[in-house]
Amino acid sequence: MILNILIGILVAFFGFVLQTSIGGINRKIVGRMQKRQGPKWYQEFLDIFKLLSKRSVSHGWIFDFGVIMALGGIIATAMFMPITSNIVAFEGYDNFFIFVYLLAVGMLGMAMSASGSGNPWASIGVMRALTTMLAYEVPFLIVVLTIINLTGHSSLTEIMMYQQQSGNNIFLIALPIGGIVGFIALMGMLGKKPFETYIAPAEIASGPMVEYGGKQLGMLFILHEISVFIEVSLFVHLFLGGASNIIEFLIKYFIVYTIANLISNVNGRFKIDQVVVFFYKWPLFMAVTQAVIAIYFGWVI
Amino acid sequence: MASIELLILGLVVSSLIAYVLTRFKQVIGSIFTIFAVMFVFVSVAAFGFNMGLDTTVHYLPGISFSQSYLGFYFAIIIIFIYLMVSFFHPHFMDKYTYKNTYNMLFLLSLAGVIGAFYTDHFLNLFLFFELIIWTTMFLIPQGKSREAAVTYFGFSLAGSVSLLLGILLAFEQTGTLIINESLSTLSGSTGTFVFVLFLIAAFAKLGAFPLHLWLPIAHGHAPHPFSPVLSGALVKLGAFIGILALVKIFPTTQVFETVGLPVGHYVVALIGGLSIVFGTLMAIKADDAKELLAYSSMSHGGYILVAFSLFNSIAFAGGLYHILAHALASAGAFMAIAAVARVTHTTKISEMGGMIHKMPITYLAYLIAIISMAGIPPMGGFISKWLIFQAVIDQGLIFVGIAVFFGSVGSFLYVFRPLAALFLGQEFREYKDVKEAPLLILIPTAIIMGLNIYTGIFPKVFFDVINKIILELGFGGITYTTFTISGNNGTLNPGLISLVFVVGIVIAFIIFILLKKSRKVGLMDTYTAGNFVHDEHLFHYSTDFYAPLERLYEKQSHYMTKFYKALAEKVKELGTFLKYVFMSNSLSVVILLIMSIIIFVLWGEVL
Repeated sequence: MILNILIGILVAFFGFVLQTSIGGINRKIVGRMQKRQGPKWYQEFLDIFKLLSKRSVSHGWIFDFGVIMALGGIIATAMFMPITSNIVAFEGYDNFFIFVYLLAVGMLGMAMSASGSGNPWASIGVMRALTTMLAYEVPFLIVVLTIINLTGHSSLTEIMMYQQQSGNNIFLIALPIGGIVGFIALMGMLGKKPFETYIAPAEIASGPMVEYGGKQLGMLFILHEISVFIEVSLFVHLFLGGASNIIEFLIKYFIVYTIANLISNVNGRFKIDQVVVFFYKWPLFMAVTQAVIAIYFGWVI
Repeated sequence: MASIELLILGLVVSSLIAYVLTRFKQVIGSIFTIFAVMFVFVSVAAFGFNMGLDTTVHYLPGISFSQSYLGFYFAIIIIFIYLMVSFFHPHFMDKYTYKNTYNMLFLLSLAGVIGAFYTDHFLNLFLFFELIIWTTMFLIPQGKSREAAVTYFGFSLAGSVSLLLGILLAFEQTGTLIINESLSTLSGSTGTFVFVLFLIAAFAKLGAFPLHLWLPIAHGHAPHPFSPVLSGALVKLGAFIGILALVKIFPTTQVFETVGLPVGHYVVALIGGLSIVFGTLMAIKADDAKELLAYSSMSHGGYILVAFSLFNSIAFAGGLYHILAHALASAGAFMAIAAVARVTHTTKISEMGGMIHKMPITYLAYLIAIISMAGIPPMGGFISKWLIFQAVIDQGLIFVGIAVFFGSVGSFLYVFRPLAALFLGQEFREYKDVKEAPLLILIPTAIIMGLNIYTGIFPKVFFDVINKIILELGFGGITYTTFTISGNNGTLNPGLISLVFVVGIVIAFIIFILLKKSRKVGLMDTYTAGNFVHDEHLFHYSTDFYAPLERLYEKQSHYMTKFYKALAEKVKELGTFLKYVFMSNSLSVVILLIMSIIIFVLWGEVL
């Protein structure tokens, strides 16, 4: 059990390092797209370590406690995440719903801490974050319902193995409409434009982040990197068939995150009610269509 | 050996004693109530687990009892909530309009609860149901709203009437009033009728769509300590009737091949889904904290209906566990709000702020309750929702799935509102002098807090009982070990999740503590975009929290209220007409009436 926990901590740490590096590389890519030089690939590490070393202010115990709860929740979620079909800390217990709901503990902690700062911008940001969550989560979960119903497993490793078996396509091909919905929902989860509404730096002063500085902000940066790792890995495992070795995982992960980032950089920002209306119009319709086709008619490519 | 009959008689007698004592001195009467409820809880808990209660009847004519794990499960949860709430009485007594009767009615309704779950006879069930409804009807207006009591009674009456009608129909066909015999021999169209009538009763008690309107009114206006009982405990009576209808009657209807469910059950699942969606949307909109929690009860009632209409043991286990988890979560949340309302004298979210600085323990109790309510690990609500999700996914119920997932994510939204606006945010100057709730209120709050966590980490104790209920209902038991629960498509290990969560928290705490200490600043010392904000009320975001989302369904949200208002108008008109006909002094009307009666009588003779 102790060994498993250690592996889990290593997975979380790996996720942090991986996403921070890839995030840095992506900053460079975006820079080149905009005809800039772009920062060094390790710039994100520098940012985080600078923040962690600074002296900061605190708005009371809930402000600090929320940050700890948030980071703790996210680390715990990442510890369950399989990386390849062999590297998984708690075999058999990497249930899909753990990721969705344990992630929510982290989000709740962060929301609590942000509201605890007493700044209305933070509360508005939290409101928008939760509303966005209500928007993207339902279509995404319907697609996952289809996947679990088809595979008969809710464990991520099992879903991965199912796609890797010969004769089965990866779900991005087997369920093409669902795959598109999954990707749009991923954009919402990552808070990429056009669903960037809850950060919106120019509009609500970075929303939930407005009061943070120093170590609290540094910890929230770590939290952000790990949660991006969880969300992108979820997409890789659910729709791209996971990975049988670590190189494959890195390639798939890099491609997914980079595409999401590139799409984000050529888009504007939705208003919050537009986000909700958007997700409940096309993605939900597509998800239901895909589910009906796949479950009731059995048409799976 | 505790006898059920003696427990009920004891409660009736002690309710009279409580009345006298409360008249004499309020505190003594309340403390007597605590001990009376505690005695009942201890006796039922001590003997009920092994079905060791004495069911013989010596004194009460026409009443018979029997024991079942199902009845026991419901009874013990509800008695527990009663016990927890009774601790609140000494501090709330002086707020009531009719102080003397409060404890008496409280104990009488508990007698009704025990009777309703332990009887095996339909008419007794109805009788005890009415006892509960009538006593609670007089308890609710103690919160100073007569309208709330009338609404509650109106909807309950609709439920009671359809229950009675169902009972009589079943009796007509089967010739027996013993619950199990009668329900198992029902067949044909009578079975379908009874099924529908019982479900109407269940919907009315559970507050499911479309009979949900009384929930926010009654829960919102009931006395603060009685709201946890209404929402956490008494609403579950509807679930009990629902189980009787959904599991014990087998109406011979067609089966939906694609989803593998009888049509009736599928429709109930869809209505449950509608309850979830409506409850969630209305809860997001509510400005009153208690109203918000009442709408959340409606949404959770929907989960329970969905679970029991799915016809497999995983779903049943989920539904039964959800009854427990929601009872604890809802009671915890309502108790926290009651403790706050005791010092602030309001339950409006927009009128409060920053209560956490004065009432940290109450805040923690609320936090843990809502984590469970939103179905987030490591609390009890997660396990039950996980089981329900399993069943929904396995059956491939897409449209029910939408509702279930929507309600689950939507619950993050509404439970967060009181957290953000009532407990967190700017500290209001008018509440600078309030103090943490007194010890007698903190004790039950802490117990419920502990149980919310316990149900999420070690569910085995509860699944032992639940498995017996499932076997009793005639389904295969579910698989579980000390730490794991197995669904059809996966295994959950709640203990492991909690352990890993603790590890995560420890890591985060170590990172936090190793770094430089931060400087404390006040809540008003924040980024204001260059403005000088002098009043904390202006700097607190609490009114219309989800305004952009609410705007999307603003118009639609009044449809049901308007419908019931119109219905009430029509009933009133009918009443006026009847009054005009029967109570008129005008000679011509009276003659017309006599004439028509004579015509009716003659018509009967001829036929």
